This record gives sequence, structure tokens and C-alpha cells, in this order.
Amino acid sequence: MDAGTFLHQTLFGGVAAAGFAVLFNTAPRALPWCAASGALALAVRTLALGAGWSLETASFAAALVLGSAVQTLQARAGVSRNALGVAGCIPMIPGAFAAKAILALVALTTTAPEHAAEVLTAAAQNLLRVTFTIGAIGTGLAIPTLLLRVRVST
Amino acid sequence: MDETLSASAAVPLGEIATVALEAGRLLMEAGASGRFVDENVLKVARGLGAETVDLRIGYASLSVSVGRGAASLTRVRRLGAIGVNQRLDHAVRRLAADVELGRYQLAAVREALEQLVQGNERYPAWLVALAVGTACASFGRLLGVDWAGIGPVWCAATLGQALRMQLHARRVNAFIGATLVALVTAGLSGGAARWTGSATRDTAMIASVLLLVPGVPALNALNDILEGRPTLGSARAVWVAVMLVFATAGVWLAQALVGGGS
Repeated sequence: MDAGTFLHQTLFGGVAAAGFAVLFNTAPRALPWCAASGALALAVRTLALGAGWSLETASFAAALVLGSAVQTLQARAGVSRNALGVAGCIPMIPGAFAAKAILALVALTTTAPEHAAEVLTAAAQNLLRVTFTIGAIGTGLAIPTLLLRVRVST
Repeated sequence: MDETLSASAAVPLGEIATVALEAGRLLMEAGASGRFVDENVLKVARGLGAETVDLRIGYASLSVSVGRGAASLTRVRRLGAIGVNQRLDHAVRRLAADVELGRYQLAAVREALEQLVQGNERYPAWLVALAVGTACASFGRLLGVDWAGIGPVWCAATLGQALRMQLHARRVNAFIGATLVALVTAGLSGGAARWTGSATRDTAMIASVLLLVPGVPALNALNDILEGRPTLGSARAVWVAVMLVFATAGVWLAQALVGGGS
């Protein structure tokens, strides 16, 4: 992986997270934190993908690192730590794969679909990728929170 | 509704339940996960004097039972459309923390909740549209859209978000609205990407509609299931899946109109 690709993914991950933070009506002083969250998540995911990890594993690692990082922050950014973690993970939500999977399934419903087996395989792969990636992100974010709660309550 | 007894203590249980449910409603409609709704309703109710608090969180309603001594009472509250509003979410959580510490009396809590709703600041619509357009253009780069396709994605997503807010203001059904927004947005980005000579037109069309992907509800659905609320989590997951199907239908229609294949 070259540095240009790494910086590109990190930069646009941060911009995407900040843009969606505006949509989510995040307080202005929290927007830089959201951008930093998105950049951190994409940086970790890009490094993991560059090391040959699968998208699901890389997303899990990114969410786990981000979830741990936001737990160390005090809630002084004008946004809760949980919300900060979610904002940072938004750029990793595999919406494009979901759209591709549904489009492939729609293509299968035509009266004489071409290359039906390949289209069905692609749809199934994309659906599984969506399911596992969202599961990986949610689990990666939840683990630090749950561990912290256990530690606090014991 | 099951009202069994009214207590003679300082704050009537019915008032506690009503105010606690209002806090819970605001949190749900602001996009909080079930755990945070539960925790903060508990803080409000206990802070106002309830000794026992049990909350049931549904996708369309909340119900809470509050008790003190031998007295108990159950109230139900219908929920409105669930969105994402981080500033409101954060403000309600701070208020709940203060109520738990005994810094607020009942009337003050009620007034503070009203003020949070009325005084909830929002970004101007034009800024939200520009921010969403920029976010979708960034998604486009992350997905591999070439530079010739980024301008079309940015313009189409900005206009798409503006249309989405207009449809929302006119109370158009969220799923039908998603199909319309996806049709217009993907159609615009696909047509413009063809004009700019982009070699990644299909990906540009998909990137421009990513504003419709319900990422926060998707993560909330998983969180709710992980944290022992499978009914709420399943309801959210079904909503997410149906939203994706309706949004993709718009992309499919747009591809039929402007053509795909690159």
C-alpha cells in the first residue's frame, strides 16, 4: 500500500463522516471530532485491507480501534462517546454493496436472465458482505463499551 | 393503561411517568439506541422520586411502569418518526443526568424538555444539502469513482438531499420518498457522469444515493440485539432492509432511464 492511497482513504473517510455529522445535527464544535473519527476508522481499515485482511475483518478492526479510542475521550466534544463512534463508522457502512445486491436480485426476476448463476452468486456474496460487515462494525464498536461497563459495575 | 394506585408522596407517579416517557420519546426520535433510552428514562424517573422503573421499548411506542412503595402505575406513549438528531440526543442525556442528581423538580424538568424541543438548533437546509453532497462525493472516491464522476455525484446528492427535505416537510411516506429521491439523484448523477465522460458511471449513480442508507438505524438494530432487545432490534433491521429495497428501486428505475453499464 502506498502512502497516497492511505492518505486518500483517510482524508475522504474524515470528510464523509463530517458531512453526515451535519446531517445528523451534530453540534458544530463536535464536527472536527467526527471527522477525526471517520479518518481514524478509514485509516485502520485501509491498513488492514492493505495487509490482506478481508473487508469484514478490516471493518471489525477499525470499529474496535475507534470504539476503544472514543471511550478514552471525555464527553467534552458536545457529542456522546457512543455517537462519536457511530459517526466515525458511517463511512464504513456497506451501502453500495447492499444496492448492488438488490439490483442483482432484481435482474434475476426478468423473464430470461442472462448469466443467472453468476448474477445470483454475486448477489449472495454482496448480501453476505453487507450482513457480515455491519455485524463486524457493530460488534467492534460494542466490545469496548460492554467491557468498560463490566469494569465499572464490578 | 393500568393505573392501580396514586401515591401521596411529593411527585405523583403519573407525572413522573409522563415526564420520563417524554424524555424517552425524544431520545428514540433523536436516534438513540435502546440502552440509552432505557438508562435515561430510568434516571429521570428515579430522580423525580420513583423507586421502581420498568421500561418497554417498542418501535412505535414506549410504556413505562413506575412504582413507589405499594403504589404503581403504567403509562404508554406513542412515538413519532425516528430520525437522527445528535444535539437533541446529547441535551436530553445531560438533562437526565442532572435530574438523577436531584438538580431539577418536576415542573422544571417538564419546562426544560419543552425548551430542548423548541430551542433545538439545526443547521440551515442549504448547508445540510451541501454537506451531504460532499459526503456522498467522498463516498464516491472511497468506492473508486473517477474524478470525472465526482462532480456529478456531488451535484446530484446535494439536490437529492434538498428534495428529500422537501418531501419530508410535506410528510411524504419515507419509503416512497426514498424511491423518488433515489430516482432523481441516480438519474442526475448518471446523466451528468455520461456527459463528463466518467468511466465509472454505475458506481457514481450508487454513490450519489448513499445519503439514503440508514447507517445509524442499522447500527442501532445490531446494538439493540446485542444488548438484549431483539424485538426492537429486529424491527429496526426490517425498517432498514425495506428502506434499502425502496432506495434501490429508485436506482434501478434511473438505470433503466439513463442506462448503465460502465
